[in-house]
Amino acid sequence: MKSALLLGAILSLITASGFSQAQSADATKLYHRSLAATCANCHGTDGKGVVDGGMPLINNLTSEQMLTQLKAFKSGAREGTIMPQLAKGYSDEQLEIIANQLGKK
Amino acid sequence: MDRRHFIGQSAAALGMLAGFSGQARANLQKAEILVIGGGYGGATAAKYLRLFSNNTAKVTLIEPNASFVSCPLSNLVVGGSRTISEITSPYDNLSKRHGVKIIQDSVTSIDPVKKTVKLASGKTLPYDKAIVSPGVALMMNSIEGLAQANKAGVTLQAWKAGPETVALHKQLASMRDGGTFAISIPEAPYRCPPGPYERACQVANYLKQNKTKSKVLILDANQDVTSKGALFKKVWAEQYSGIIEYLPKHNVTAVDAKTKTLKFEVQDDIKADVLNLLPAMSAGEIAVKTGLANSNGRWVNVNFLNFESTAQKDIHVLGDSIQIAPAMPKSGHMANQHAKVAAAAIVAELSGWDVNPAPVLTNTCYSFVNEREVVHVASVHQYNTAEKTFKTVPGSGGLSPAPSTLEGVYAWGWAHNIWADSLG
Repeated sequence: MKSALLLGAILSLITASGFSQAQSADATKLYHRSLAATCANCHGTDGKGVVDGGMPLINNLTSEQMLTQLKAFKSGAREGTIMPQLAKGYSDEQLEIIANQLGKK
Repeated sequence: MDRRHFIGQSAAALGMLAGFSGQARANLQKAEILVIGGGYGGATAAKYLRLFSNNTAKVTLIEPNASFVSCPLSNLVVGGSRTISEITSPYDNLSKRHGVKIIQDSVTSIDPVKKTVKLASGKTLPYDKAIVSPGVALMMNSIEGLAQANKAGVTLQAWKAGPETVALHKQLASMRDGGTFAISIPEAPYRCPPGPYERACQVANYLKQNKTKSKVLILDANQDVTSKGALFKKVWAEQYSGIIEYLPKHNVTAVDAKTKTLKFEVQDDIKADVLNLLPAMSAGEIAVKTGLANSNGRWVNVNFLNFESTAQKDIHVLGDSIQIAPAMPKSGHMANQHAKVAAAAIVAELSGWDVNPAPVLTNTCYSFVNEREVVHVASVHQYNTAEKTFKTVPGSGGLSPAPSTLEGVYAWGWAHNIWADSLG
């Protein structure tokens, strides 16, 4: 009984801090990548747009710069054609994830 | 418990978990994933399955065509301001850069019980996951006489970009001055809601420059213009006055190929010189044939968290074939977005992870009203857990205020980027 309890405790500990966390981190990374991929149709895979393709390039922006611009589009402080309309469709948290994912590291 | 015993049990526990983790990863690496159809949905799914799995998933794309021809922008080819080569992209980057195995062939049947796919060449391929992205089928029988007229080349649809797109431009170019180009639109839903109205603009733009006595007749089965209505009507009045005539509630029921006469449910017959008849549409043939079209026998119901068909497990359906969520258009942009949600969900499932409970989709759609000026419609769709569907975010999205050349530049920018995102 005692060893079963101990094993359970170990499993809980491992589950909480080890493999499941690794899995969870990988899964979270996948979710973040797929959220950022919603931008790729216009701005290129992983934010690397076609050079001289006609669409504003975003791959020279840092995460902070990108988030500032996304928030400005969302608030209406920055004008644009489609971006003010699209930015309003994302939560602030989602915009942060996108900026962190696509911004220059 | 002594220390050795403790370590032993810990190792066993670790082994159990490692085994679970290893099993899931093995599933991801060993699973055969077949993608059927290399349009905006299928090509994107194939590429993103590789990207999201860090190049570990085994992905095979089955597509009959040697290269990808974009439906978006193809109206410019009909109107003659662009060539088909400008909207054509190769498939081989998917194999060269991303490790997707490409088979140039057609799928003749899918066996969802044995989980196999049969090809026209006679080969049978097994799958663990199938992604079916066959676009739309044109229901030729919805207009009496259309199948024969289309076969004879008297009518053209050019709704799947390719040889018919070029042929329709040739018919326009050889039409007598003073002639009528008629385009008919089926009741919604159909592929690309603003597409027919954009096409009318492109044809009118050609006529304005080349055949000034001619006109475009839009025969719309719907009550009114189904997308960007106010913008299109303004353009027709300002740029194509006397060239475009719009007739709503005109549902074409029959065509006489010999006399080029169209018949309607109620109205008098109409004759035209070039007939571009768009019949009602359904999910692509292979989806219907496989029994996936469980929404009125026309469209495929899917679980919007992973785009798995509700009719068959492990078959995921993307793009124009699905029964849409409210306000979700059947567009190339949307098909690309479906593909990314499905690819991420499949990678998660095969890795033993929960599927993302909150996926997001966007749509942008540009329409050229002449060769330079463009209008757009955009929307953002967040997954709604309670209603198990995507819903547009209130206050998001919208239309252009007016046509502009800046949006014309962005429209080509969009095209180059989405082609690179889907195929590059």
